[in-house]
Amino acid sequence: MSSSAHLKLTSNSYHSNSCFFSLQELTFLTKQEILLAHKRFTELLSKEEKDLPNTRVSMERILSLPELKSNPFRERICHVFSTSAHQDGSLTFEDFLDLLSAFSDSATLEIKSHYAFRIFDFDDDGTLDCGDLEKLVNCLTGETDDTRLGPEEMRQLINNILEESDIDKDGTVNLSEFQHVISRSPDFVSSFKIVL
Amino acid sequence: MTSYSNGGFFNPAYHDNETLEIDKRYPRKNNHTNPYAREAPSWQGSGAETHNGSVGRTTGGDDSLARMPWGGWEEESQRGRESIPMGLISTRHHDRNHSAFQINPDSQYDRSRIGQLPSSISANMTMRWRGMTMRSMSMFPDADPARLAFTEDAIRNEMENEEQNQVKELVALSTRDRIHAIRSLPTSFAEKKHIRSQVLKSAKKSRKNAHLADFSENVSLFFRRCGYSVRSARQTLQLWHGIMKEIGGKFGTSVLSYFVFLKWLLMFNIFSFLVNFGFITIPLLVYDPTPNIPPNVSFRGLELLTGAGYFRYTVMYYGGYSNKILVGLVDYNMQLAYFFTITLYMVLCGVALLYSMASSFQTNYVLAAPASSGAWQLLCSWDFSVTNERAVRQRKNNLRVQLQESLSEKAQRERLTLSVKLKQFGVYLGSWLLSTGLAVGCGASIFYLCQYEEQRTTDAPSWTLLQEAETLLLPFVVSLMNLVIPLFYSLFNKFELYSSQRKQVYALVVRNVLLRGSILGVLCYYWMNVVPEKFSCWESVVGQSLYRLVIFDFLFLMLGSFFGEFLSKVLGTTLLPRLGVPEFDIARNVLELIYAQTLAWIGIYFSPLLPAIQILKFFILFYLKKVSLTHNCQPPRRTGRAAQMQTTFIALLFFPFFVGAVSMVAFTAWRLTPSKHCGPFRGLSNTFIVVEVWIAELAAKPGSVWVVWIYQHVIESELFYFMLVLIVLVVIYMFWQVIQGRKQLIVLLKQQIVNEGKDKAFLLEKLQNLQKSRPNKILKQKTPKKHTKQRSGNVSAGGQSTSNAMLQALFARQQLEDEEGRRGNGGVPVPSDISTSSALVQAMMARQRAEDQEEDTHMSDTDFSSPSAFTQASQARQRAEVEAWDEHNGAADYHENAANTSSAVMLVMQARQRAEDEDRTQWVPAHPQNPVPAGSSALIQAMLARQQAQNEFDDGY
Repeated sequence: MSSSAHLKLTSNSYHSNSCFFSLQELTFLTKQEILLAHKRFTELLSKEEKDLPNTRVSMERILSLPELKSNPFRERICHVFSTSAHQDGSLTFEDFLDLLSAFSDSATLEIKSHYAFRIFDFDDDGTLDCGDLEKLVNCLTGETDDTRLGPEEMRQLINNILEESDIDKDGTVNLSEFQHVISRSPDFVSSFKIVL
Repeated sequence: MTSYSNGGFFNPAYHDNETLEIDKRYPRKNNHTNPYAREAPSWQGSGAETHNGSVGRTTGGDDSLARMPWGGWEEESQRGRESIPMGLISTRHHDRNHSAFQINPDSQYDRSRIGQLPSSISANMTMRWRGMTMRSMSMFPDADPARLAFTEDAIRNEMENEEQNQVKELVALSTRDRIHAIRSLPTSFAEKKHIRSQVLKSAKKSRKNAHLADFSENVSLFFRRCGYSVRSARQTLQLWHGIMKEIGGKFGTSVLSYFVFLKWLLMFNIFSFLVNFGFITIPLLVYDPTPNIPPNVSFRGLELLTGAGYFRYTVMYYGGYSNKILVGLVDYNMQLAYFFTITLYMVLCGVALLYSMASSFQTNYVLAAPASSGAWQLLCSWDFSVTNERAVRQRKNNLRVQLQESLSEKAQRERLTLSVKLKQFGVYLGSWLLSTGLAVGCGASIFYLCQYEEQRTTDAPSWTLLQEAETLLLPFVVSLMNLVIPLFYSLFNKFELYSSQRKQVYALVVRNVLLRGSILGVLCYYWMNVVPEKFSCWESVVGQSLYRLVIFDFLFLMLGSFFGEFLSKVLGTTLLPRLGVPEFDIARNVLELIYAQTLAWIGIYFSPLLPAIQILKFFILFYLKKVSLTHNCQPPRRTGRAAQMQTTFIALLFFPFFVGAVSMVAFTAWRLTPSKHCGPFRGLSNTFIVVEVWIAELAAKPGSVWVVWIYQHVIESELFYFMLVLIVLVVIYMFWQVIQGRKQLIVLLKQQIVNEGKDKAFLLEKLQNLQKSRPNKILKQKTPKKHTKQRSGNVSAGGQSTSNAMLQALFARQQLEDEEGRRGNGGVPVPSDISTSSALVQAMMARQRAEDQEEDTHMSDTDFSSPSAFTQASQARQRAEVEAWDEHNGAADYHENAANTSSAVMLVMQARQRAEDEDRTQWVPAHPQNPVPAGSSALIQAMLARQQAQNEFDDGY
């Protein structure tokens, strides 16, 4: 099924309505957005790959998209949305649609916060612990030595973060706590957005 | 089992409580579904080993085979127990190999999935399935060996059950909800597709009347497709997609919000232009295409600025419309058309504004934290739409500065002395007085200017060029004030030093609103009271002044972006580098837009085609601001709060400005006498008379009695409005009460969360203390090898009970988390909450007791009692399990089941009570030799209670 959707799109029968219908029912994207996504995705493929169904595009090539190129979380985004068995962050077209859907305007707060949590969860262990938070802050302030916060500041900041959000006081922020925090910062929905 | 509430079901937090150690270790095959897959080979290996062990045990096979792994198990569990509190407190200390009892079910599970599940798609699991399987999985470690044998099947069944349950629940939803629910599943695309096909299949199956169902399905499919096409068509029509993206990519969402607002206003004006043009102007033009201009008036060019002269006689203004009934294909009453179009337009504007204001209030204020200067706000405000490399770097820098500021602010906040506070207060007071004084002074000077203008102008049909140019003085001064005074205001901000940027912006906004409000108020007073007495066609005169104001406002907007942005950029880059490149002042710019729109609203009655000018103005302004922004400005240094700012802007647009404009128009229509010789309402004592005349005409016709009745009994009757107001007041009061109740509930729930947290912290501390007091004893146990071997018979009992207890604790913890998650997100108080903490306490107590017991057994080597305790325990467990399974099977009948559950809970409670009494009788007289049966029975009680709680949990929700 999945490959057929891709095939239909690749074989230029753009007007196969049922295909679009199912894509629209499963994502938050409109027809234009899906078409645009497809165009941009096929641009990343080489000529022989275009004929294959369900090709994976490697993380490097995905990250060459200008929308992702300078994003500090670009690698995490690829890893979270990739269904690859090798965990190499490569994306199929459907993964790519998933990504765009989660980052689209009409996606719900719930789904956005879920994916944000997974993007911020650098070690994939299901909670944001001190290590994750440190990495998160470093990602946001820049990785080099002169831009990152000093160790004392970092410690204080992480303490503040935990104090603010760690309801059950276990030293980590879990998904529900994270969503609780997110639901109280209304700017998140408008800023967690990538438009092609 | 299936009767979860939907709220709980679609809330991932409810199923996805990640703090539990087990949960984290739970491997999944598909990486996308599950972010937590970290399959370490060693882990797999150890899991497999244990698996073998358990099989050996259950088949009752070779003793040595059985013993070795169990010994391993025991040791592992000892270590595991050690590690548990650590894991609870800080999950950073991962050592994937150290607790076998956690791994065991996982690995089996993993194997079964890899080996036996038909497709990779079904192997994928949603968060919910995971949550559910977690719950069932935690049964295995405390299961007796016989149970382990069918775990593979059980797990597979469980999984299939889960999928079916989910599908069932989705089928039960309405089509719309179902689509939304599937779309919102946080899983991969393929998985969603699979679930969707399953749901569609079973939805089809469950229908009784196939034909009807097919038909309704097709209809809904058709409508959905229509909906999607409308959505995509709307997107095609979207203006400036590329520009918007570019701005967002460079300057972030907060600056983008200005452009979104500008676009929204543009659309609004296009709509109002279409309405006015379509219903008022086109009929007139069709009937009489040439305007009746006096012969001595010609187009001179200055009209474009002043709006007077030639324009005065066109359809631009009120005066250009006739009061006749246009006779064509159908009779068209111009008076009625004019009145109803304007009214309808105002009502539609009001509804649209009210709606957007209410919805953005709901999302941005009600949900937002009251005092959130916190770090999360900063961390979550990272703009993913920013794509420009330099902007990203700048943003990172700004964010770092902001983080550092927030840290130092927090430290400094307490250290303000009284004198500093007084000084600050003085500065605030002074600047407020000064700004209010400025606003009042502006109003007064405008008033005198109006009087001066009144003396200068005459009511002649055509003005000389000089006279016409003189009219430009007033709009010029007004616009100049609007440009210069806000600059002063932003200068005040430099001295005031507000503690937060938000306060600063709000102060600025309030001052600007005061200024513009006072100016507009004076102008309106002049138009309402002075102009009608002096001019013969006064509506057109007012229309002209509004036209001039709109045009001058536009010119000064351009000047403003030149002075405000271009000049300060030049200054900042060349002369005074200290100032730096300016930022785009969103608040000031948005207020300018709001003011411009207010002029258009006031003018809608006097000059129906003013929206056309407005469209042109906004269109040019968009490009102008875009160019000015990209060339002159730098991205904002502070981020965040964009959403709330936007809400404030819409509220401002609605409240003082729109309401003011509407009341002015309404006053004109109800109170003022329309001019005698021009316009659609000539000869009437006020505008509203039109409706009365129309109703009187209708009363003569037989077919429209109901219209007359409605008019007389609804529109004209005071009683109706009295009742309406009364009803509205009652409804408001009721809602207010509901809100008060909710507020109390929120307070209580928050307190409860805090309390639960404290409970947990307390219990964890206890656990830790216990752990600390243990190590030497454990060492003692571990050192003599003989000891372990000797105990191999009852090792399982001891080890298992320990791990049981630990799992109890963990499970209780998980439940607690579940509860918390649900409460935090759904906000629904759940009756079973009460049981949670008690279950937790029970479990903890049981654990403690089990440990004591174990210790005692080890220390005193009284082995004889242990096996019996074990058999007792396992028997009791078996019973409990049977009970539990019965309940599971009987889940079809909910009522019976509920009764069952509660009675079972009662039983358990009683049993517990008894056990505790027993405990006490045994422990108080101090029989250290034989505490085992009591201990284990207490353990069983706890387990039973846990089981019950779980069942209840499963069935009830």
